[in-house]
Amino acid sequence: MSLPAEDLSLATQVHPIGRRRPAWLVTASAVFLLLVLVTAVASPLLLDAATRQSILDSLLPPGSDGHLLGTDELGRDVLLLTIAGTGSAIIGPLAIALGSMLLAIVFGTMAGYLRGPVDWVIGRLVDTLLSLPVMLVAIVVAGIFGAGYWVTVAMLIVLFAPSDIRIVRAGVTEQAPRPYVEAAQMLSLSPARIMYRHIVPNIWPLAFTNFMLNFAIALVTLSSLSFLGIGVAPGTPDWGRQITDGRGIVGDNPAMLIVPALLIILVAMATNILGDHFGERLRERGIQ
Amino acid sequence: MTREASQGVQVTALHVVSAAGTIVQPLDFSVDAGKTLAVIGESGSGKSMTARALTGLLPRGVRALGEARIGDHTYSLAAPTPAGSWRNVRGRKAALLLQDPFTSLSYVLRCGDQIAHGVRARLAAEGVLPQRATVEAEVERRLDEVRLPADIARRYPSELSGGMRQRVAIAAALAAEPRLLIADEPTTALDASTQGEVLDLLRELQRAHHMSMILISHDLGIVEGRADEVLVMRAGEVVERGDIRGVLRNAQHPYTQQLIDANPSVNDVSPPAPAARSVLLAAQGLSKSFGDRPALTDATIEVAAGEVLGIVGESGSGKSTLARVIAGLEIPDAGTVTLAGRALPPGRRHRKPGEIQIVFQDPYSTLNPSFTIAQTLKEAINTSAERDRTPADLLQLVDLDPHLASRRPSQLSGGQRQRVAIARALAPNPQVLICDESVSALDVSVQAQILDLLARLRDELGLAMLFITHDLGVVARIANRVVVLRDGQIVERGTTEKVLRSPAHEYTKMLVAAAERDSITRGATTDVTTRLEEPHA
Amino acid sequence: MAESGTRRTRARSRLARVVVLRLASVLLILLALSFLTFTLLYLAPGDLVKNLLGNRPSSPAAIAAVRAQYHLDDPFLVRYLDWLFSALRGDLGVSIRMQQPVADVIASRLGVTLTLIAFSFVLALLAAIPLGILSAARSGSVVDRAASGLSLLGLSAPSFVLAILGITVLAIWLPVFPAYGAGGNGLDRLWHLFLPSAVLAAGIAAILMRITRASVLRELEGDAITFARARGLSERVVLSIALRSALIPIVTSAGLILTFIISGTIIVETVFALPGLGQLLQQSVLFKDLPVVQAITLLVAAMIGLITIVVDLSYLALDPRVRARDSAA
Repeated sequence: MSLPAEDLSLATQVHPIGRRRPAWLVTASAVFLLLVLVTAVASPLLLDAATRQSILDSLLPPGSDGHLLGTDELGRDVLLLTIAGTGSAIIGPLAIALGSMLLAIVFGTMAGYLRGPVDWVIGRLVDTLLSLPVMLVAIVVAGIFGAGYWVTVAMLIVLFAPSDIRIVRAGVTEQAPRPYVEAAQMLSLSPARIMYRHIVPNIWPLAFTNFMLNFAIALVTLSSLSFLGIGVAPGTPDWGRQITDGRGIVGDNPAMLIVPALLIILVAMATNILGDHFGERLRERGIQ
Repeated sequence: MTREASQGVQVTALHVVSAAGTIVQPLDFSVDAGKTLAVIGESGSGKSMTARALTGLLPRGVRALGEARIGDHTYSLAAPTPAGSWRNVRGRKAALLLQDPFTSLSYVLRCGDQIAHGVRARLAAEGVLPQRATVEAEVERRLDEVRLPADIARRYPSELSGGMRQRVAIAAALAAEPRLLIADEPTTALDASTQGEVLDLLRELQRAHHMSMILISHDLGIVEGRADEVLVMRAGEVVERGDIRGVLRNAQHPYTQQLIDANPSVNDVSPPAPAARSVLLAAQGLSKSFGDRPALTDATIEVAAGEVLGIVGESGSGKSTLARVIAGLEIPDAGTVTLAGRALPPGRRHRKPGEIQIVFQDPYSTLNPSFTIAQTLKEAINTSAERDRTPADLLQLVDLDPHLASRRPSQLSGGQRQRVAIARALAPNPQVLICDESVSALDVSVQAQILDLLARLRDELGLAMLFITHDLGVVARIANRVVVLRDGQIVERGTTEKVLRSPAHEYTKMLVAAAERDSITRGATTDVTTRLEEPHA
Repeated sequence: MAESGTRRTRARSRLARVVVLRLASVLLILLALSFLTFTLLYLAPGDLVKNLLGNRPSSPAAIAAVRAQYHLDDPFLVRYLDWLFSALRGDLGVSIRMQQPVADVIASRLGVTLTLIAFSFVLALLAAIPLGILSAARSGSVVDRAASGLSLLGLSAPSFVLAILGITVLAIWLPVFPAYGAGGNGLDRLWHLFLPSAVLAAGIAAILMRITRASVLRELEGDAITFARARGLSERVVLSIALRSALIPIVTSAGLILTFIISGTIIVETVFALPGLGQLLQQSVLFKDLPVVQAITLLVAAMIGLITIVVDLSYLALDPRVRARDSAA
């Protein structure tokens, strides 16, 4: 591996020994995220209502009768459009963060524990994938091969995995020389059992904090891609797309642009706050 | 007040508290100039916090109360920590020397620069403009004082051994010319042979600079002959104090007596020479190199059932490598291991849990933190042929309350965790038990208990045991026969009695001499400095 | 003395070996990437020849010319090696869309992108590192909390949102900065690039500030600093000692961050309509101008490879322990 992984982990280490974060902030973030998640799951139900066009109601400003946030140039209600777009904006990043974590736990543990040729191969793959900026690859691949939503998500899972694999690998190589692992070896337990039953439970804190960070980054990345027109079919409700469309009508109805932009920022902030909070709590417990 | 006392240190009502409660109960003490006070205690006794409180270097969330006087400067111990008032204390009045020389020196700066910082700070406080030549000359002088050559100034700490690093740290601390030097377990991280040298050096320097010194340690043996008075602490309280010779000869408090008794002395050899028995485990010609560094060369040993073979050496001697090769955790470059006449394959691949088991050194990482005790033990039980034992049975075998089974390691003490580790190792009914420095990380009083437990298990279960340690006192207490390793080679072997009482090899003689000096002699002792003034034989 | 001399030469040769190995592995990665990039051309959907013709009429003569130009009748490996060696010589093919040598097209855009990257990097460093050090030294104070809040915002706001916000507020409502374009040369160029660079720098600075703070705080709480304080060294000296060792992870992370910046330029150039490589990539992908896409990908991979090597070397230079370990290994 080219870069020392301890330094990479510093990027996830936010407030190593810091002051208390106000508790209400953490609770508010958790509640907010829960609401967003529920909305995301329920959002397909609003699809029809959100995409209903009406030329008569085109470009109504916010506060109009029956349209709290106004309409866009096709007459679609902005509020409904925003709520319906939650699914596309949230589920994808969730899948990306989960998928990446899964790959990281499987391959990072193998690389960190088994070492030797397995580690070398995984290491070379990781180094290669990390040599290219995520955006560049995403744009090129999606643009040339054409990519729908889930293909883009799958591609981002593959692109996010390498840095997670490194982080998990670093966590595992820290645990592997410890006596409790060697004691398991002395009991002639199988390598798979030692890796996944003995070591992985001890790197959960690391993996979980990383998962939250990844979710926030994936949110930003996916919305940036859909802003560029990649990953989302035109016409489907999506925050990134909405921002692109909203740019054009910012004079008539700024809500089309501002509301989804604000939501992206708020969700990312809430995720970061929770992720930092758990990171600190778990690190404190680890110090004991 | 005598001149010594007025130049010395007086501490009144030192009291350390944290959110969790009192760490150190209010205590008073004094140290005259030119004298050393030893503060002895096990983990949790509050000895380190006492030291830190004097220099205002307590960790977050911990506060001190009380007052101290060093020379003619009186200060409050309750002053908030990053504040101007501590500037007048740290360095010029009191300097703290830390335990681990591997972390106390910055690894990005050269040794000379680190000492120079202290020199320049002192000169600045005196109002003198530091000239480069003056500073360099003084750095050289300081290095010479700690018996290091001048070219060490250009090296980085990572290039030096532990003992050398600690000497550099001492030089850096003394550059401030403090009236009081507090040494917090300054040699615990060092080898036995180096420990004595560094402590002798500290005593000499203390006398030469007419400083007061507080020497903190868990080991009564090494402070004997190197301190004048002693303070014994336990759970934040002082249980005994007085002139060190008096206390050692005639301890008043039972805890002090317990510490004295538990201190493994190389002079009490207890286990008898073994009766002739058939060899159970034999290793022949084992060699192992890591890269181009030979860790083990042509090692050959034998152990019989019911016998303990002590494997003794300093760090880097190869003793752990020998144990790990036999256990199968390392693959040797050459040599064989036979158990009951059958050759064992190298590595863990085809080994069985019922052959050899091992108890590791660090009780705090020897158990999986995410398993309960019951889970750990059950898993071990399932690897043996006898599956009908329960975790409770195993816990009773090692004198632990069966109720501990539902707890997690973080809820157990170090000694308890090590007992669980022993129970886990015994679950598969191994023929051989390897103890790799299994008591080295434990408090002295706990050490003795664990050693007794191991001795009992050896007798009850007829185990063959390999006991790896650097501590000759431990060997004297538990091993029937001994093998001495140095730089990967066995330099001496024999019964414990013979090797410790009449060592043949120069190296063994040196180890035994150092151990004797660092054991409690419980008789009249001469001070180190007097001994050093005598002409060398 | 002779012994330490040979020790030093042995250490130096071992170090040299480590450096060469690193270089070799980076080159290997570049080779793999170049192969992948090349195969892109052949994996793209649609008829290959039609793609390569682009907008030109597909007469038999034109088709034959294209076949000859791209050596389509030669085996795959020959085509790859031919492409690779041409690229190494500076000949990156011809842009389908613009019918100009790719090298020229890229060269004309390179300046804007490089200026953008450099400007953002400098802005991020200037903002993040002093703030990170201050936050760590005064941890728990108002400054620390404010800085943490800012960094949270920087991490959470996507570049394109900040860009649009920036344009709306600072270019349209309050006409301070130009809303688009890269401007002329010199100061006019910098003036035009300030807003885009600031937007890009925001996210980067947030990460860098956190890393700096964590690194400095870790040092300040360590044994070496406690010992320095315990010997009576002034807080100023203590901080300088802490910074020296805290520097290492900061420097190595700064290298990593450069790769994030490169990702971000694509978005920023699009929103601000800057004629740089990012915008070129966007347009070329849309138009399926594969030679340009291949060339840009290769160029970026090479840049990142170079950065990785520089970062690794800086690590060797800064950390005496690594030097000792690698030379003793």
